[in-house]
Amino acid sequence: MSAAKSRWADDDPEADALIAQRKREKEEKRRAKAEKQRQQEEASKATAEAQTRNGDSGPPKKRRRLSNDPDAPDAAEEAKSEEQKKVSSLLRFPVAEWGPCRHVDNFERLNHIEEGSYGWVSRAKDINTGEVVALKRLKLESSPDGFPVTGLREIQTLMEARHPNVVYLREVVMGTKMDDVFLVMDFFEHDLKTLLDEMREPFLPSEIKTLLLQVVGGLEFLHSQWIMHRDLKTSNLLMNNRGEIKLADFGMARYYGDPPPNLTQLVVTLWYRSPELLLGATKYGTEIDMWSIGCIFGELLTKEPLLQGKNEVDQVSKIFALTGPPNSQIWPGFRSLPNAKSLRLPSSSAPSGGGLPLLPRSRFPYLTNAGLNLLSGLLALNPVSRPTAQECLAHPYFKEDPRPKPKEMFPTFPSKAGMERRRPRHTPVAPKRGQEAPQLDFAGVFGGAQGGDSGEAGAGFALRLG
Amino acid sequence: MTPANPGLKHLSNALATPDQLSNTSSSIDGVPTDLETSIRCAGAQLTQAAGILLHLPQDTIAQAIVIFTRFWLGADGGSLRIYSAKDVSAAALFLTAKLSFNPTSPRSILNVYNFLLSQEVSPLWFVNPRGAPREPPPSESYILTEGGYQSARLVLMRIESVILRTLSFDTHVALPHTIALTYLQTLGVTKSAVARRTVEHLNATLFSPQLLYVTHQPNALAVAAIYLAAREEEFKLVDGEWWEVFDVDREELGFLVVGMRSTEGFMRAEVEQWRNRPIPLVIDQVDAEIDRRQNMREGE
Repeated sequence: MSAAKSRWADDDPEADALIAQRKREKEEKRRAKAEKQRQQEEASKATAEAQTRNGDSGPPKKRRRLSNDPDAPDAAEEAKSEEQKKVSSLLRFPVAEWGPCRHVDNFERLNHIEEGSYGWVSRAKDINTGEVVALKRLKLESSPDGFPVTGLREIQTLMEARHPNVVYLREVVMGTKMDDVFLVMDFFEHDLKTLLDEMREPFLPSEIKTLLLQVVGGLEFLHSQWIMHRDLKTSNLLMNNRGEIKLADFGMARYYGDPPPNLTQLVVTLWYRSPELLLGATKYGTEIDMWSIGCIFGELLTKEPLLQGKNEVDQVSKIFALTGPPNSQIWPGFRSLPNAKSLRLPSSSAPSGGGLPLLPRSRFPYLTNAGLNLLSGLLALNPVSRPTAQECLAHPYFKEDPRPKPKEMFPTFPSKAGMERRRPRHTPVAPKRGQEAPQLDFAGVFGGAQGGDSGEAGAGFALRLG
Repeated sequence: MTPANPGLKHLSNALATPDQLSNTSSSIDGVPTDLETSIRCAGAQLTQAAGILLHLPQDTIAQAIVIFTRFWLGADGGSLRIYSAKDVSAAALFLTAKLSFNPTSPRSILNVYNFLLSQEVSPLWFVNPRGAPREPPPSESYILTEGGYQSARLVLMRIESVILRTLSFDTHVALPHTIALTYLQTLGVTKSAVARRTVEHLNATLFSPQLLYVTHQPNALAVAAIYLAAREEEFKLVDGEWWEVFDVDREELGFLVVGMRSTEGFMRAEVEQWRNRPIPLVIDQVDAEIDRRQNMREGE
């Protein structure tokens, strides 16, 4: 690696002088702590300059030694080119560095964008570069275990997940107090939820394909890096006016492993939460993200959230109303899930013969057969039946006409986030960490329809806690 | 020149700049370089010992040691006259474990550190040069009181924040261990002693005074450890410059092999040098050691 070599090529007096000089600078800096910020910028500029200088004189040690050899210039030249050829055959790793956090005062806050369950976001301008960014403040309630692990995971996963369809975390900056932490991210004009609310007509089929391909593409990358998002929903998908869409809000994201570590079931906003989570599964995987993708797909088609349950029990009944109730044929083993014990299913649910049951066509009248097939797969009750992100990308739905619309042909929309305050949210928020997982009694899921075993009128949804 | 591949981030690390290596915050504060090296190395060993007592996996421990090492580098890094090495070690281990699949509680961490830092019972040579006592001593000498726990917990939380701020929240550490196993398989190494020796070298290198984990990428560390292990175990590897297959050139390999081999000699010299007194892991002890050296110089 030539970069590593040039890093060590400091054995000439000039570099020593440079280091000595920089050392003096640093000492001054320590004395004048008030000027620290300014000096830091100078120092980093100096480093950058030093780097470009190194880059100019960049060739590795070996080459320098050869070119100093006065006797055999030709051989040296030859060896040089050979050396270069050799170097270029070796893989280069991205050379990253580390340094302290900058202060949030480097950003001028422009306007407030939203307040989510994990912090508030505002639009801000980098004072030095003039770039507009999104500034997200992490909510750090004092925790007995130090810096909240959710915030750490959000930063960790965002830093690792460098992908065109994942929001770009530029840096982390701090306020004056130790627990003021801000994420600096690329600013996006829209989130999909607000956009869908404002639109008169849903997206065209070709536009839906382009959006879905990007979202699933980003998710496929996350899963390939062993990251689960665990809170996919339309308000966490950011869009710009160039037809690009990115996954955002990694407040619930985490690494998983094989074998899977213990995971909390309190993840994913209710309307996008998969049946196995609702039934209390403690072992789950990336399939929960695929279920959320199915909900997002449905929402793109109809402009309305697909399954708007009022609580966990209502959510389960809404799901079963759409997909039909589970049986041991399409979902072997669902009975052994903790919350499934209390589930009383209508006896009429005759197992349909073979293959994946399709969702009712009447709910999605304009969807092609391939599209309905994909949606039914994503919203399969049995997590094993859902396609992976990779399989999803290869689905025939994306290959048939109408083809995905090129991004540059996308319509533009006036930006709510860029100009003014949002309308207040009316979607449920993501579950909070540290809550008790509720013991749910699903006896009422089909209570109303079935009748007979409960004399109570209304057959409300009994939520038994504890 | 092939451009750097961004998809390889999970296999690579942020590396220290030459300036960060030559200008540490401690050296600016007047800590002699050799003392700084001794303390950093002892802190790394302390982290390793604590990780073992806490039953943490070696990858978590190794990541904690790398974070501990990074913390002290550069003029913007931590100074041994401002932060105690023992506190940074504990917070680095706590932080790394928190992000892993094996989180551990502040109480467990602090109990273990209290034991390891006890001058009466510690089995660590650089804390208790006399060595662990044969008879189990009264437990009061190393058990943390409730009040002691509460104040130590606050320090742990504060230092955790300081580490995060100093490293810009970048806790990513790619380790060479699993990479080395893949390379060994690729090379068709069948002798398990070579694999064992490779891992031993990689773990010993965590204490290297040359700070090889923060100056070289994990693939290079893996290749050097395999090269050394195969030589020591007299296992014949393939002919030709096989290290180039793993993107390491001869010069870097040579440098790393020399560095890895020197760790043992360095350790022996350390044990010899600090035979009679503990290595200072607390700010006050560091100050006292610097004063002591100053007085000795003036006495001459």
